[in-house]
This record gives sequence, structure tokens and C-alpha cells, in this order.
Amino acid sequence: MTRHVLRTVAQYGAVLVAAIALNFALPRLAPGDAIDYLLPPEQAGALTPEQRAEILDRFGLNDPLPEQFKDYVAGIARGDLLVSIRFGRPVTSLLGERVGWTLLLVGGALVLSTVIGALLGFRSAWRRGTSADTGTMAGMMFLDALPPFFVGMLLLLAFSVGLGWFPSYGALAPSDARGLESIGEVLKRAVLPIATLAIAGLGPMYLVARSALVSELAEDYVLMAEAKGLTDKEVRRHAARNALLPVSTVALVGLGTLVGGAAVVETVFSYPGLGRLIYESVLARDYPVIQGAFLLLIVTVVVANLLNDLVYPYLDPRVRRAHHE
Amino acid sequence: MTLADTDPARAADATPLGGGPPAQTPVPDRARRRGRRTGGVGRTLGVVGAVLVGACLAAALFAPVLSPYGPDETAGLPFLRPSSAHPLGTNDVGQDLFAQLLHGARLSLVIALGAALVAVVVGSAVALVAGYYRGPVETVLMRIVDLMLGFPFLVLVIVLAAFFGRGLGTTIFVIATVLWARPARILRSQVLKLREHAHVVAAKAMGASGLRVIGRHIVPRIAPLAAAQFVRAANVAVMLEASLAFLGLGDPDRVSWGTILYFANARSAFLTDAWQWWVLPPGLALTTVILGLAFVGSAVEEWADPRLRRSAARPARRRRGAVRVAGADDAPALSLAGLVVEYQLGRSVVRAVDGVDLEVERGRILGLVGESGSGKTTIALTAAGVLRPPGRVVAGDLSLGGRPVGRPSRPALAPYRGRDVALVPQAAMNALNPAYPVLRQVVEAARLTRDEAAAEVRSRQLLERVGLDPSRHQAFPHELSGGMRQRAVIAMALVNDPDLLVADEPASGLDVVTRAQVLKLLTELRDELRLGILLVSHDLPTVSRIADDLAVMYAGRIVERGPAAVVSASPRHPYTRALFGAFPSLKGERRPLAAVPGEVPDLSRTPEGCRFRTRCAEAVDGCATTDPALAGDGGHAVACIVQRPEERP
Amino acid sequence: MTPAPPVLELDAVSRRYRSRRGPRRQAEVVAVDGVSLTVQPAEIVAVVGESGAGKTTLARLILGLERPDTGAVRFDGRDLTSLRRSELRAVRQRMHLVFQDPYQSLHPGMRVGEIVAEPLAVRGDARAVRGAAVTRALEEVALQPAASMGRRFPHQLSGGQRQRVALARAMVARPELVIADEPTSMLDASVCAGILDLVLAMRDRHRTAFVYITHDLAVARWVSDRMVVMRNGQVVETGASDDVVHRPTADYTRLLLAASEGELDQVPS
Repeated sequence: MTRHVLRTVAQYGAVLVAAIALNFALPRLAPGDAIDYLLPPEQAGALTPEQRAEILDRFGLNDPLPEQFKDYVAGIARGDLLVSIRFGRPVTSLLGERVGWTLLLVGGALVLSTVIGALLGFRSAWRRGTSADTGTMAGMMFLDALPPFFVGMLLLLAFSVGLGWFPSYGALAPSDARGLESIGEVLKRAVLPIATLAIAGLGPMYLVARSALVSELAEDYVLMAEAKGLTDKEVRRHAARNALLPVSTVALVGLGTLVGGAAVVETVFSYPGLGRLIYESVLARDYPVIQGAFLLLIVTVVVANLLNDLVYPYLDPRVRRAHHE
Repeated sequence: MTLADTDPARAADATPLGGGPPAQTPVPDRARRRGRRTGGVGRTLGVVGAVLVGACLAAALFAPVLSPYGPDETAGLPFLRPSSAHPLGTNDVGQDLFAQLLHGARLSLVIALGAALVAVVVGSAVALVAGYYRGPVETVLMRIVDLMLGFPFLVLVIVLAAFFGRGLGTTIFVIATVLWARPARILRSQVLKLREHAHVVAAKAMGASGLRVIGRHIVPRIAPLAAAQFVRAANVAVMLEASLAFLGLGDPDRVSWGTILYFANARSAFLTDAWQWWVLPPGLALTTVILGLAFVGSAVEEWADPRLRRSAARPARRRRGAVRVAGADDAPALSLAGLVVEYQLGRSVVRAVDGVDLEVERGRILGLVGESGSGKTTIALTAAGVLRPPGRVVAGDLSLGGRPVGRPSRPALAPYRGRDVALVPQAAMNALNPAYPVLRQVVEAARLTRDEAAAEVRSRQLLERVGLDPSRHQAFPHELSGGMRQRAVIAMALVNDPDLLVADEPASGLDVVTRAQVLKLLTELRDELRLGILLVSHDLPTVSRIADDLAVMYAGRIVERGPAAVVSASPRHPYTRALFGAFPSLKGERRPLAAVPGEVPDLSRTPEGCRFRTRCAEAVDGCATTDPALAGDGGHAVACIVQRPEERP
Repeated sequence: MTPAPPVLELDAVSRRYRSRRGPRRQAEVVAVDGVSLTVQPAEIVAVVGESGAGKTTLARLILGLERPDTGAVRFDGRDLTSLRRSELRAVRQRMHLVFQDPYQSLHPGMRVGEIVAEPLAVRGDARAVRGAAVTRALEEVALQPAASMGRRFPHQLSGGQRQRVALARAMVARPELVIADEPTSMLDASVCAGILDLVLAMRDRHRTAFVYITHDLAVARWVSDRMVVMRNGQVVETGASDDVVHRPTADYTRLLLAASEGELDQVPS
């Protein structure tokens, strides 16, 4: 078992290294000078050639590439991800501020979409071929086809502007509400964004759950369970147990996609999360922030994949080895 | 150790157990092999999708014709409401929204289709290289693919767009970069499977070059799947492009649906009524294309992989549960009269079983023998109460150990399943749930008649009896060999002391020695438990050796029946004789084998006269018009007019 | 008269696999262990054994699709591993393969005529010559009329007919050796007889040697001149078929025979 763990970790480690290298290379590949990368455009434009050379030198950007790479990696190890051009603060602290909000949205949406999607998907699979199934399926496909930002806009229009139930932007109330009240405020502002993301993730989860259960129900052991005289509920439980495997994989791996959707949703709701940060930084050409956030995301995805690889044997006894011999 | 003690829990308590709706259906072998199509929900969806996408394509194509204005033209005053001149009104700078919608379609669709094409071509190339040549290249490529799939598409697109700028070509490139991974992964699995397909191995084995094998054998087989992936990729690409544009990262010079929404958001179209004609139309247009592509995608996927085809059959409707009644000790384990079972396949109805009577006495094995398409498996599933749609019992009268059940439908047999009739299916890998230990599954069955503690005791008892060492009782199914699994299934079937055991090819797929062991076990249990066994098989010589009675089936009917010793010694029906003659003898003389020319008749049409006539060497004129009934003397019955001279017309 | 050199010779061939399943199982699986056998021209040799005995690996080794870890596989006197890629391909054109699964062994998108012609195309025969050879091959396997049969697609044929096509494809280039890997195990008994007859006819008519792999002892004995019994990758017994069946020397052979005959008392529980 440990050998498998080590090998997986090594493989992902290799990918991480490749990602860091890519992160290093990208800005150096982009059109334009490194100066544009370090300073806001107004300042960069005002420099004389001598000043440019001096700055490049100071930041070690005239050093040979391997030297630069070494410094870069050392910097990452130290947690020093440069300074944001826009805010003038270390990137790490910026990321730290925003990550929490995005996690709230993505976490909430993941739980909701997984649970609801799986339940609906399983129900559809059991009632395969009936009008209930076809109806749900069509409905899900329709939901899935709605672009997330469109859904966000519609929800905003309906519940915020129209009904006035929820505030339309921000994550915290402008006032200094404390304790439970502040949690309430946070939740109120999180409802619509979470709902939007959850709706976006619902479709794929439903489809995976449905097809997973349908294929399990076609297996011989389900026939056997029926022949044994088990009740419908017990037969369903047999099949669902095995259908959970693909569902859990999709959930863990789909974390990445949800983060992507968060970028758009945070924009619609003016929510101060990571996704919005990336977007704003792209518009402002705040490269250090883009790089730092990109790296953070890669790490997250690698961790999610790793978790999935490690969790899977516990769910599927066929992959498990050594323990039961 | 024997199990002659009566099961004390076998009281005649009434336990209503309703029948349940099944989900998938085992289509009879012959139909499946012929690749018959069983209904197309996917096809309808595909047509609908094609219409939706087509409409959008048409709108894009004919944009200049449908609207007199250009997308960037100042067509009128700002914020005009919809009117005949401006069907969707104007935006905040007076541009005609309808024109923007139509022209926006062009950009959105061009980018989406272009990116999808690039992505699928790259993905296919990667899949072919990785899947065919394997080795370290494959591992590296696949890890990259795995990671790309987990990574948030949109974020990657945003970041790449930041570094590489905006513009039509760059956008296509950026989106394609993100999309190639999924087709690569899916097509590679397909290549891996195809690589081991016999015709590919055959081509390699006959000395064909790698290029020829890939080009002629593999590429054509993955083309349909690649087409499905193209549609799926286009679906995602539309969404990505729209999101990019919505964030203001799209091509700054051109209008797409996403940019319309970007401006709508930026100009706070919410605060006025304007959202109705500014936000809704492009959003709905996007939804329409995405949905249409999704529908077309499912249709293409179903066409590419016929196994995905959803059968149009509805699950059986729930009926109020039947009540279990008491049995009679001296009655036969199974008594079946006039059984007719049909399968609804698409538009045709196949009569798989057409009027079968049979009886299985307690303490005797009835061997039901036939080839594929004979109907024997259908009878087994019906008797066990697990026949699924599209199979349907049209007529029949069944008695189980003296209990009259009537027409053997699923609900009617539900109270007896697992208690008075038990099934041992084909020696398939998965008759046991791979996720639970063996003992747990046997105990689950035993709980039907006992409490938890007693169920465990009985289960262990039976598992040991069939030869499973106690140390293996908690093993998972995949940890046991095929033979041991099959024995565990037998134990599970017998745990509630049924009158009838239905064994459907219980030893197929097992090795010669294991097969003999399993069959030997069945004969021992028959004697110890006075069990009636309906043994269904295609292996005539083996069955005729261990069965007490033999019934030979052909095309849905029993053509010969009698004590096994009698029928083997002197088979009277031409088919039975041919069947015996088709198996070579192990030690006897090497005589020529009997080959039966021709094919089994099409059971979607009731044949005229004798069903075996077209393949029979002894047919006479009368065979074409008379449908012979089973009749005979001394327990040996035959359905053939040639063999019973007194009935020849 | 000196005897002709054997068509095929396996000389103490071994092949081991590393078990790929699971993280801890790095144990080696010995698929084929020190197997020697020879096949003379126009001889039918049956290889019998249960699943896992190494029969399929043996087939792959003979075809050169895998290399043995030790020992040599010689076709017409030449060691397969000593051949260059182009020479190996040329050798492969002189031996063919018939598979177990009639539903998978034919390319579903190719017509029967093209399928049967493929070995000739690979060999480089001119198109004009191929047509006549294909017609002859189809007639030999009793798939008539050859012209209309040739235009059909595999899914329009029954299992037995597909195996006949596979046989026609195997024979069309007049190979010296055909490996038949359980060609009848997925067919109904009434159809199987026809295939077995064809195998014998081909040996008689074209002097083709066969390696006939099967788990069914009765079929093995009926169709072959000599038999090789395998267990766990090793050869347990070999000899003329009738001798092996009537006078087995190995215990395992006796066990197999007893099980095949349904003599259940001799089979342990």
C-alpha cells in the first residue's frame, strides 16, 4: 500500500515541478518587457533606458536563466511570492484574505450539488424510462446548459432586485455587526452565489450518478439480490453502494471546475473571492498576483486528485490489497 | 455433515412482498448478437438538438439579411424599447440589440467550433500515440491529461488569455488548449480496448505494419466516438467563450453573445426594465446552442456505443403484493403448464417460449437442454421470478412445491423468491456484490426467515457444507476463485431451504475440474435436502450424465422429454439425435460429427408446421403443415410426426 | 527418407509476467515455464489445459507477439527473436490465427470479401489476383454464393458463419501453420461440428499444420494427431492423442479425463 502511495505522490510531485517551471516561464514568454511585469504601466512608461536597466539588474532579471529559476524556487519555498503591482502588498497575504471566501462558496456548492445531484440521479436511474425520469433528465440538461453567469444574473434579478430578499453584492455587511448577527449577514450574502454555483454543478453530478446507478443495476449481483428475495430498498442499496465510486471521483475532481465557475460568479455578485481577484488582476495586468493564484490553484487540484487516488481503495475493495488475505 | 434437519423457521407466515420495477433488461442473446436496435430516445433528442443548433447556425449565417444594421452601428437612440424597427431595442450607446444578437452568433459559433475541432484532433493524436504504443510516453501523457482535466478550465483560459492577449486566433488556441484533455482521455481508453480486440490482434499477427493497423483498424473504430467528443467539446467551448467575453477578456473588436452580457452587466441593465431585452435574449441564445449541442452529443454518443442505448421499456408497474401460502410436502417442486413468454424488441415481438409444460420432482434433477435462442434461460428466469422487461409472461400456470401461483409474473412470485425457489445464475464474475464480504451477503439472504444471530449460524453452516473454509467466510468475492464463488452462491441460494433450485448454466466459464466439482456438489445436495433442481444448460453430454430427467428445447418448445438414461440411450427426435451427435466422444471411435445445417427460425413470426423442419434430415411433406405436439408413452415423449408413425397423415 | 524439418519448434520456452494488479502484488506470475513442443508439417497438435495454464501466452509467443524470457521459438528452423522487424513480418504472413470470439475477430466496418483478402493485401498481392483467391477461400468454407457473401458485413452473419470467415481469412494465403485459439468454445454444439470438419479438411487439402488450443478434451482428442497437456505453464504430458486419452501417464491428465467424462467419484470435493 505504501509503495502505491509513494509512487502516486512522486508522480504528482513531478507534475508540481512542471507547473512551477511553467509558472516561471509564462511571464517570460509573454510579449513585453519584464518591466511591464513589475510596475504599473504609468510608471513603466516614464522610465529612461538607464533606469530600466538598473531595475532589471536589481531584480536579478539580467542574470542567467538558471540563476533566476533558483531564486524563484527559493522564493516559493520561503512563501515569498512577490508583491502585487496593484495593491503594493505581498501576494501571499492577498491570496490568504480571499481564499476563505472562495472556499465558502465552492465548499457549499460542492456539498449541495453532490448531495442533491446524486439523490436525484439515483432516483432517476431507479425510475428509468418513466416520464418522471425523462422529465428530470430534460430539466437537468436544461439547467446544465444555462451559463453560470446567466444563472447568477437571473437569480440576482429575481431575488435581490426583484424580491429584495438578499443583498446584491459583497460578502460582509458594511456595518460592524458582531457574532451571530455577522454570521447571519455573511450567510445572507453567500446564499445566491452558492446557489448559482450549485446549480452549475448539479447537471454533471446528476448525469454521472444516474449513469453509474443504471450500469450497476444491470449487473448480475443485482439480479441475484432480487432472486434472493430482498426488498426493493435493499436491492437499491446494494447497487448504490457501488455507484458511489464514480460519484465520489467526480465530486473530488470536479472541485476544480467549481473553482473556475467561482471566478465568474464572484464577478456577478461582486464577491471578494479568489476568482474575482484573478479576474481583476488579469484586467490590470497584475502578473505577480496571477502567477501566485495560478500556483495556488495547481496545488489545490493536485491535492484533490491525490486525495481521490488515496480514498478510492477504501471505497472499492477490489483495489484494496494486503488487508484481507 | 448433512442438513437433513427441517428448518424450524419455515412457518406459513404471510409476508407480502411487492414486486419492484427493474431497471435493465437482459435482451435475449440472439437479438443482442444481431445488433438489433432497441428504441431511440437518444435519436429524438438528437433531432431536437440538431434543430436548435441549426436554427442558431442559420441565424448566424443570415445575419446581414435578417437585420439591416451592423452590430457596431449606432442605429438609433440609446435605450429604445423593442419595436418593429428594433426588435430587441437598443443598448446604452444606441446599437441595435437584435443585430448584435445575430452577428454575435457568428463569433460565438466560429470560436466554439474551431476550438472544438483543434481540441479533438490533438486529443485523438495523443490518444492514438499513448494508447497504441504505451510505455513511459503513455504514463507521462496521461498524468498531464489527468491534471488538465482536474484544473478549472475557466481559470486556465483566463490566465492564458492574459498572457497571450485577445484576438480571434488566440481565443481559439487558448480554448482548444484547455479542451483537448477530455477527448484524449476518453479516446485513449477506447484505443486500449480496441487494441486487444481480436481483429486488431489478428491484423498484427498476420504481419500488418503498425501504420496499417492503426489506420485501417483502429481509427475507423474510434471515429464515431471522436465525433461525439467533438460535439461535447463544442458545447463546452461555447460556454467558455461566453464566460471569457462576459469577463471582458474576449476579442475587443467584435461582438459575441458574451460581450453583450458583459456590457449589460457593466451598464447595470438590472436597474431598469432593459434587462428583458438586453440580458435575456443572449442568455437564452447561449442556452439554446449549448442545450442543442448537448442533445446532439448524446445522440452521437449513443450511435457510437450502442450499449448506451436506453431501452424504451418501462419498468413493471407496482402491484399489491401477493401473499405466500403453505406448500405440500409430496407435491412436485415445480409444476409448469402452458408457459408463453414474449419479448418486446423495438417494433417486433419475439415469442421466446411458446407453450412449455414441465415438472420437477423433489429430489430429482431435470436437465433442460438447448442451444442459444431455445428459450431455456427465459424459463429459468421466469421460474425464479426475476424475468425483466422487455420480457413478459403472456400465459402459464405455475405451482411451487404444491403452492398454486397462477401466472408466473414477477409480483406473483415475489413472496416466494429466495424462500421456496432460489436461483443460481451463470458462473458470472458478479453474482456477488464486490463491495461486501461473502458471509454478509449470505446472511442477508438468511434474514428472510431468521433473526440475525440464527442467520449467521445457518450461513456459516452452509458455507462450510459447500466447501468454503471458515477462514474464508469474510473474504470479498474477488479474493475467491471462480469455483469457490459459485459454491458460495449455491450456499446463499439454499440458506432458506427452498423446494426448487433453478440453476442456469451453473458451471459455465469454470474449468473442467471445477465444473465437475460444482455439479457433484449439486447432486449431493439434491440427495441430502430432497431438493428439486431445474438445471439449464447447453452441455448435453454432461447434463445427461448427472440429471435424472431430461428435456430438450428447440426454438421455444420442448421437443423431447423423458428419463435421462432413456433419452440418452435412444433419442427419438432428429434434433436430439443431432445434438448428441455433435459432441465428439472422448474415448470412443472417431466418427464423423453431426453438423446441423441452417439457422434457428426467426421467432418474431410463428413458424408454420414443425420448427425444426428446415434443418431436419428426416423431414417429410407433412412436417410443413402439422405442428407436432409432445406425446409419447412410458414417460418418454417426443414432438415429431416422423417418429410416431401412427400420427403420420 | 529424411524427415522434413518441423514447421514449429518451441525449445524450453519460458515467459514470466509481473502481476500488474494492485500496489503490493509485485509477485511474478509464471505464464509459461520451460515448454518444449514441435509441430511437423500437416500435423494437428492440440494444446489442452484449464484457464491460467498458459495456453494463450503460448499462442502469443508462437506468433512472435511476445518474446520468451528464456528458450527459443523457431519457425521453419529460424529463431524468431533473431529476425529483423521486416523478416518477422514476413514470417507472420506464413502463419495465421483464428480466435475464440467470433463477434470480435472481424472488423465490423469491413465487408467479408475485404476481411478475407487482408492477408493477401498485407503480403502485397496484386488486387486482380486477390479476387479469385478470396472466392476460392469462401467456397472452401462453404460460404456460398461467394460473390454475395463477400459483400456482406459481419453483423449480418451468424456466429458460425463468422468463424468460417475467420477460417477463410486464415487459409487464403496458404499458410504453413494456423494457430486456433478455442475457435469453437463460443459456438453452439450443432455449429461447432462444421468448424471442426473444416479444420481437418484444410489440413488434408493444403497440408497446413495446426496448433489447436482448447480446454475441451473430447474436441482435442477428436481433431488432433498429438496432444500436449498443460498445467500452470508447464507441460504435464505429451503424446499421440489416443495414447494420452487411453493410457495417461500423469495424474493430472487422469483427473482431467475423469472430470470430462463426468466420473464425479474420481473428482475430489
